[in-house]
Amino acid sequence: MKKTVLLCSAMVMMLAACGNEETNDNVTDGNGGGETQTLTAWAWNINIPVLEEAAERFAEENPGFELDIVEQGTPDVYQQITTGLQAGGEGLPDIMLIEDDRVQGYLNSFPEAFLDLSKYGFDDEHGDKFPEFKTELLTLNDTIYGVPFDAGPAGVFYRVDLFEEAGIAADQIETWDDFIEAGHTLRDELDIALTGIDINNDDGVYRMMLNQQGTFYFNEDGEIDIDSQESIRAMEVVKRLHEEGLNENLVGWDAWLGGLANGNVATAPSGAWLTGSLTEQAPNLEGDWDVMPLPAFEEGGNRAANLGGSNYMVSANSENPDLAYDFMAFFSTSEEVQLAAMEGGLFPSLNTIYDEDIFSEPVTYFNDQPIWDMFAAMMDDIPYANYTGNYAVARDEAETAQAEAIGGRSVEEALERAANQLDNRIN
Amino acid sequence: MNQTNRAPYFFIAPAVILFLVFTAYPILASLYLSFQRYEGGSYSFVGLANYSRLMGDSIFWTALSNTFIIFIFQVPIMLILAMILASVLNSQLLKLKGFFRVSFFLPAVTSLVAYSLLFSVMLQDNGLFNELLSYIGIGPIPWLSDATWAKVSIIMAMTWRWTGYNMIIFLAALQNIPEEMYEAASIDGAGKIRQFFSITIPNLKPIILFAGILSTIGTLQLFDEPFNLTSGGPGNATMTLGLYIYENGFEYFDFSYGSAVAYVVVVLVAVLSFVQFKFTGDKS
Repeated sequence: MKKTVLLCSAMVMMLAACGNEETNDNVTDGNGGGETQTLTAWAWNINIPVLEEAAERFAEENPGFELDIVEQGTPDVYQQITTGLQAGGEGLPDIMLIEDDRVQGYLNSFPEAFLDLSKYGFDDEHGDKFPEFKTELLTLNDTIYGVPFDAGPAGVFYRVDLFEEAGIAADQIETWDDFIEAGHTLRDELDIALTGIDINNDDGVYRMMLNQQGTFYFNEDGEIDIDSQESIRAMEVVKRLHEEGLNENLVGWDAWLGGLANGNVATAPSGAWLTGSLTEQAPNLEGDWDVMPLPAFEEGGNRAANLGGSNYMVSANSENPDLAYDFMAFFSTSEEVQLAAMEGGLFPSLNTIYDEDIFSEPVTYFNDQPIWDMFAAMMDDIPYANYTGNYAVARDEAETAQAEAIGGRSVEEALERAANQLDNRIN
Repeated sequence: MNQTNRAPYFFIAPAVILFLVFTAYPILASLYLSFQRYEGGSYSFVGLANYSRLMGDSIFWTALSNTFIIFIFQVPIMLILAMILASVLNSQLLKLKGFFRVSFFLPAVTSLVAYSLLFSVMLQDNGLFNELLSYIGIGPIPWLSDATWAKVSIIMAMTWRWTGYNMIIFLAALQNIPEEMYEAASIDGAGKIRQFFSITIPNLKPIILFAGILSTIGTLQLFDEPFNLTSGGPGNATMTLGLYIYENGFEYFDFSYGSAVAYVVVVLVAVLSFVQFKFTGDKS
């Protein structure tokens, strides 16, 4: 019997040894002054070359610096981050890419898991290099927990050739009513849909309209505001687009991008990051696309909003937090790195580079217009959206409300139900 | 204990240890988790609070009823189809059996995500399905955006994927039924249909039970199709228990509540399997 116990414990030790090896390696790396110092990072697609470029530049001044990048799909990164956070930070990389809408959820649920960057003076030293809505988003209790990376200043991407064919003047579109009217013209003249909103699964257009009106699912104090007048007004636009036959319900990202590429849909209200995906998916449409600011709710109203964008956060469990901080501070404030990101279509939130030449240069793909300049001009006017820790639940309810409103309920009723249900779920 | 008595334990040790570490421990840990609540970075014991919250959670009830609607329609359709296909493929008259067997089984080995994506492309408002339907004069069907049709889409996708799998199980069982029985039956004047109901089905009974229970467990844990095809929408029309567990854990960081839902699934699987044993199982 004794032997059995021995065998079992030997096996357990073998299992445990596998887990230990890694930590030992890291310790030697960390103490080996002057030798290689390695950080690990989790990120996805177009962000990878930017990280590589940044690591190369950072290593010039920090010999021996190495960045070990693990490339995965976006959902995989989040699943692993969540699992790691749940396990008390075990197995997380030093730095991880996290999108705007996820930050507050993670911060609220796992307040101890991320490195306090205020302690290093990030907000004091670099805070004013970024728009307020970005730094605000990374802040919990006056402490900043991440470095801003790209932003998603929003605009309406539209097909210049189709607009011309249908006789629509894009610069005459100032309000959402004008936009809907243009949709009717497109339908009558060319039988093409104006938008390709995924009614049941994506409330992005509605969210942009909330943001441009300076409101969100939650108000500044974090109270549920999903049934506000602004919200009703925004949801009405989506409902009208559908009911008046101007929207094609494209389910899922691939279908939407496909619709934009094959000409079934003439416009896409979206964040600046769509530039990258469009040029990649529909290279043959070079010169046929352009971007205008979002329509306003009344003439002269605010047309600036944000959709999407991302940030980097450092794990509080990092073996090498000082190095991770130095690298991230360099990454987010280096103009060269941010300009490299723009090549992949990522719009930088670092505002010190907006007077670089590239911003005033015309972009061939987008009808030879200086679209970066337009996005940059918008950055300071983007209102802050209070995501709170309950963003994911709120979004779920908003999408259900959108589906219900399209399914025949009145917008007021659907949003009121959403507000009540949301209150039940989070309180 | 002498040497020979110990040997078996050595051999089963790896399997037992893996089972304890990766199966038994998570099952118990998630039961424990379902009695806790996570707030601001730490867990506290809350007794049955998560379960009583379930009682008043309309999304949970929607998910439960969706799961049952899909279960009640999908499992019988699939098993009957699988049985018919298996009988046909077992027939002496059929040529190219290998080809047909492989073709019907192939969906079961394709990637869940890949096939869901394909279905989602084909089920778009202007996708292949609606295109084909328009040739026979049937107007476009809102496959993914209508509450009822979205469920139908999921049932179709699941049936496509799993029928071949069950067919192979039935086929294996059919080959164990002695040919003499059918010969004797045809001498007595029984037609093909009569043979199917009086010989094939009674002989397949234990296998039907086996396939039924496997499908029950599979359907109650249904996740991939609603996740990839409809994200549980429109509204919550295709929300399933499996998807709701995932959303609670990975989107709302409420692992405790997710664990409580998971234990409801455990209880349901146990009860339904018991019922199936009771009604279709062999008495002996």
